[in-house]
Amino acid sequence: MDWEPIWLTFRLASITTVLLLLVGIPLAAWLSATKTKLKPLIEAIISMPLVLPPSVLGFYFLLALSPNSTLGQFLEQTFDLRLVFSFEGLVVASMVYSLPFMVHPIQAGLENLPPSWQEASFTLGKSRTTTLFRILLPNSKPALLTGIVLSFAHTIGEFGLVLMIGGNLPGQTRVASIAIYDEVETLNYAAAHSYAALLLVISLVILVLVYRFNKRLTV
Amino acid sequence: MKKIILLLWLIVPQLYAQTVRVAVAANAQFVMEELEAVFEKETGVELETIINSSGKITTQIQQGAPFDVFLSADMHYPDVLFKEGLTTAAPKIYAYGALVVWGIGATKPTKDLSFLTQPSIKKIAIANPKLAPYGVAAQEALRHYGLFEKTQSKWVMGESISQVNQYILSQAVEVGFTAKSVVLDPSLKGQGTWIEIDPRTYSPIAQGVVLLKKKNAEPSLAARRFYDFLFSKRAQAIFRKFGYRIVTQQK
Repeated sequence: MDWEPIWLTFRLASITTVLLLLVGIPLAAWLSATKTKLKPLIEAIISMPLVLPPSVLGFYFLLALSPNSTLGQFLEQTFDLRLVFSFEGLVVASMVYSLPFMVHPIQAGLENLPPSWQEASFTLGKSRTTTLFRILLPNSKPALLTGIVLSFAHTIGEFGLVLMIGGNLPGQTRVASIAIYDEVETLNYAAAHSYAALLLVISLVILVLVYRFNKRLTV
Repeated sequence: MKKIILLLWLIVPQLYAQTVRVAVAANAQFVMEELEAVFEKETGVELETIINSSGKITTQIQQGAPFDVFLSADMHYPDVLFKEGLTTAAPKIYAYGALVVWGIGATKPTKDLSFLTQPSIKKIAIANPKLAPYGVAAQEALRHYGLFEKTQSKWVMGESISQVNQYILSQAVEVGFTAKSVVLDPSLKGQGTWIEIDPRTYSPIAQGVVLLKKKNAEPSLAARRFYDFLFSKRAQAIFRKFGYRIVTQQK
């Protein structure tokens, strides 16, 4: 049993989740407060990964990030960064892939708070940012936890996308889901079982803990 | 009434279709198109081609996938099926694959592969050697030219020849090792530059075919006809046209 793919999966999920928190909180806060007509469109774009096959995302990532595309060329020449076949690329792809799982719960949590709280805070001369971080977010802890857990779990379960842009590099892009696939392909069922069973148990434990501490887990 | 019609629409094609399902390893997908066209014209038997990596096809057959004939990229996978009693006979070699190195960009491949060490080549696609014989052959050739360690950091593993081709065509990699049958396909002619690897630098890629047994039933006559057709002069000529070495001209 090679632990590297498991370790890599959890590293990918952790980094993706932390970065998604940084992106997701402001995005969710803005969406919960905005009156813009574009809101349905923006919400739809964020939700796309929920309905799109990962192969669609993978295919467009492959084309967009390939070194002969405009974006790929820019990244390569400016930052010497090639996002296909690299861990960094998987992080970027996973962030897009798991974005709705972070934004939806937080947005729903913020929208469910009584408006009077925010109004009271504004009346006392507090800024939007202070209000968000001192009043609104501390009162949406279950929503935040839900967002964190779902993003994390969803990234662990990522497969099609990684298969298309990963290149199966040990320690870089060979995550557990890919390792399982590989072992099945080589008819090596014992190894596939050990990875698969481990992922099964870990995922179950994570979800049980969340349901235990958070009675209102809703997407 | 509507439900019945829908049900019929779902079932009927399965009832009257006398098709032969041929599972084909990724490297042979292009030659298969031509074989299919010729065979259907000769016999009137419908073929249905399923393209996948040899490993996946093998797993699916073990789980009861309804395939009639399996053209593998190697001898190992069909041999596994033979040992499990899922085939009529041991795998028979239908062709020997040839390895090429292929790139779409400005790269000009050199015969001794030394060009792979150039800094402009950042990524080299290779089919996963655990799954694909073309990957094993690529590694053997690199070892032969003393480039195995020098290029290792640039490798990217495709799960099959198909994925290696995707990486090359989308230019996500500068070059990749693929099957000669791919670059000789009319739809890909003139795309980029390729060079054939000296066949003495890697073990022959013997590709085996097996006729599959259905549950308690012998293969259909149509399936057997296609299996025999693969060894006919006509089919072997098609293999040669697509860059395979055929059984009689093995060095």
